[in-house]
Amino acid sequence: MTPTSRRTIPALAGLLALAACGRDPAPPSTQYGANPALPAPQQYVLPPTRIATPVGWGRTGTPAAAAGLAVRAFATGFEHPRQVYTLPNGDVLVVETNGPAAPINRPKDWLFGFFQGLAGSGAPGGNRITLLRDANGDGQPELRTIFLDHLNAPFGVTLVGDQLYVADTDALLRFPYVTGETRIAAPAVKVTDLPAGTIDHHWTKSLTASPDGSKLYVGVGSNSNITENGIDAEDDRAAIWEIDRATGFKRIFASGLRNPTGIAFAPGTNTLWAVVNERDEIGPNLVPDYLTSVRRNAFYGWPYSYYGQHVDVRVQPQRPDLVASAIPPDYALSSHVAPLGMVFSTGTSLPARYRGGVFVGEHGSWNRIPLNGYKVVYVPFQGGRPSGPPQDVVTGFLTPDGKARGRPVGVALDRTGALLIADDVGNAVWRVGPAAAPPAVVAAR
Amino acid sequence: MTEASRAAYRDLLHPRLVGLGATLLIAVFVTDLLYWRTLLPEWSTFSIWLLTGGLVLAAWSGVAFVLDLVLGHVLAVSWGRFLALTAAALLSFLNAFIHSRDGYTSVVPQGLALSAIVAILLLVIGWRGWSVGTARPARLAAPPRAAASMAPPPLEGTGR
Repeated sequence: MTPTSRRTIPALAGLLALAACGRDPAPPSTQYGANPALPAPQQYVLPPTRIATPVGWGRTGTPAAAAGLAVRAFATGFEHPRQVYTLPNGDVLVVETNGPAAPINRPKDWLFGFFQGLAGSGAPGGNRITLLRDANGDGQPELRTIFLDHLNAPFGVTLVGDQLYVADTDALLRFPYVTGETRIAAPAVKVTDLPAGTIDHHWTKSLTASPDGSKLYVGVGSNSNITENGIDAEDDRAAIWEIDRATGFKRIFASGLRNPTGIAFAPGTNTLWAVVNERDEIGPNLVPDYLTSVRRNAFYGWPYSYYGQHVDVRVQPQRPDLVASAIPPDYALSSHVAPLGMVFSTGTSLPARYRGGVFVGEHGSWNRIPLNGYKVVYVPFQGGRPSGPPQDVVTGFLTPDGKARGRPVGVALDRTGALLIADDVGNAVWRVGPAAAPPAVVAAR
Repeated sequence: MTEASRAAYRDLLHPRLVGLGATLLIAVFVTDLLYWRTLLPEWSTFSIWLLTGGLVLAAWSGVAFVLDLVLGHVLAVSWGRFLALTAAALLSFLNAFIHSRDGYTSVVPQGLALSAIVAILLLVIGWRGWSVGTARPARLAAPPRAAASMAPPPLEGTGR
């Protein structure tokens, strides 16, 4: 041991203690809804970080469903499943994917990759889409095929007419689709390039179509936490793109949205909604992730500010003109829950209290102590607006000692109206249906 | 250095590594200043890699210093210089964490302040070279047999 390191070890321990000590942050319930409590931002020597070590579900483990619901594995044995999508004939597509290897621009990036590995987020994705067919609707698919293979970090999927659109990390692709087919052999047609490049920090490209099918919308995440890779790296990012389906013409629909990982139109309306992951490393309760309706041409603050005019001093030079125009989102989900998927509840098979709102898959993050998210919640709606705090729908992704059995990502409804959840650590797709009667809940467990 | 002087005093390992590491840590102040004035993130990236390189060399300097002691090449240690260099290394270690923040506050103000303090400290120390001890004259060196037994020879005299 060197004279230097003899002294650095106690110093390091001191720094760790500095980061770990202090009171617990205000509970997430203080940050739900339209007016979340926003504490003063902090600057850390070592930001609070807690890794939920992946332990998996074992042979029989399942998440826990709220009263009136029962959860079962729909299918298992995937390679990092992140998105589920139900085709009109009831076939379910599972997108198995993970991001491209991140470059090491700073020593921190190496550490970040190491943390990702510890948290099970570094597992390779299948770069493919698997099809599951449950023709008799018993919640157990009889058919499983590789529907599309050799994709490049795909995420969003949507069908318009007889065209299936897949958002790879670097391009929006189009494939011809015939109802009932279990494998697409036709080559991809590129609709347009999407921002990727060598950094590609937030690599997922969420995708949906307008109700009339004329426009496609792509959620493009930022290329950094808070512009540490330079503002030039953020061109056309942290935004939702609008792409004309006929011509391929593209424009920025709304901007300042740090990482819009889930987008969907409210049923029966022309209003686009998004779940967005906000910035890290300025405190356990900053900045709350959110669900919001997205206004055309609106600016939501990132990177210069959050929740309207709360300026982030880490971004220099600032843009007071843009900050002045920034609008706050509709509904905070609380901080570091990492919402990675959303679906409007349009089914009728789930209990009545789950109708008309939004299910959100909260992947959870390591940027908060104690952990937050790692569950699927339901945001009730009334009159087209969120109308109450989020309710836990599916929990049990964390063990009591803070290890991760799984982490929920994308959510969808199947043909019967049951909720499907992609779990990229448990490598499973969960199906949440109504519990027939109270004893059935016990039986399903 | 002449043949005669090289023969007359033991060669110390650690000053070469201390000098290299200190050069990198002093350069951090320059790249921090450039970041502060230009706001180009490339300069802060230079800073964190210079800090990392400087800290790796600081660790190797420590190893080299222990080796110099064990081999009995050090006549006397200047503990004031030793502490000043250790302080520079520890402040730089803290600064590596500050520089691992994202954006402006990775440099301004704490990172820049720390790199300024470290640069001043190192320039003052380095003005008289990078050794933290006086080399033992060759003729006073411990006999080869003692060195082979791994027992560090006693530090004789004050050397000051």
